[in-house]
Amino acid sequence: MAKINGCDLPDDLYYLIEKHVWAKPMGENVIRIGMTAVATKLAGGSFTAVTVSDRKVGKTVPQGKSTATVESSKFVGPVPAPVTGELLRGNDKLASDPNIVVSDPYGEGWIAEIKAEDWDGEKGSLATGSEGLDAYKAKLEEDGVSCE
Amino acid sequence: MDEDKVLIIMTSGPETPRRCATPFFFATLAAAMDYEVTMFFTIDGTQLLKKGAAEKVFPKEGGEPVSKFLNDALEAGVEFTACTASMELHDLKAEDMLDGIKMVGGAYMWSVADDCKTVLTF
Repeated sequence: MAKINGCDLPDDLYYLIEKHVWAKPMGENVIRIGMTAVATKLAGGSFTAVTVSDRKVGKTVPQGKSTATVESSKFVGPVPAPVTGELLRGNDKLASDPNIVVSDPYGEGWIAEIKAEDWDGEKGSLATGSEGLDAYKAKLEEDGVSCE
Repeated sequence: MDEDKVLIIMTSGPETPRRCATPFFFATLAAAMDYEVTMFFTIDGTQLLKKGAAEKVFPKEGGEPVSKFLNDALEAGVEFTACTASMELHDLKAEDMLDGIKMVGGAYMWSVADDCKTVLTF
């Protein structure tokens, strides 16, 4: 796990940096997705609700489009899909404790799983490994974002 | 009817600050869910669209002004429409209003409502 500007960012995940979301291949084109530590910081660090969009389950969500929403007393916003695919399911644990997304963004606090349409083709558009984290660091520097 | 369109009718204004944040919050939320959102401001709601007005309305003492919630909704892509008859009621001219507001008659509201999956009124 790398720490960049105080933000935990594992180097084995795939990031859609502009949207601050991660993707993790689970096998057979199933991709688990979630918010990065940066996203939870930008969204205020404490949530009242994280809700996966029921009306989109079973439907194709294009890369960058909303799969879920996060709400706090001061913020509301989408959780965009890092890659295009069918939204399979949301994380059931989010309903009872939305703040697992903040405390464990890459583990218990995952958001949803999607069946990627073309993971091999689309993963090139995501940042990963040490090069990917360098790109993420550049973005954080540019935007003046820190998790500390 | 379009499954992805929703309408929020806003009648609350500066005299009832506590009723003025949530409608914008719900509009922003719907936009984040990829709904196409229109807000129609009428009765006292129109007063919130006067330049500088929403900055002075605080739903919670010491909290954020309504302008914060209003701007979040605009940035999320919510369309704001103002009822021209209620502008007249409050002596508001087109130049008094925030940029990007579409001024429409009541019939426009009916045509949007007819096309929307859900209509909320505040």
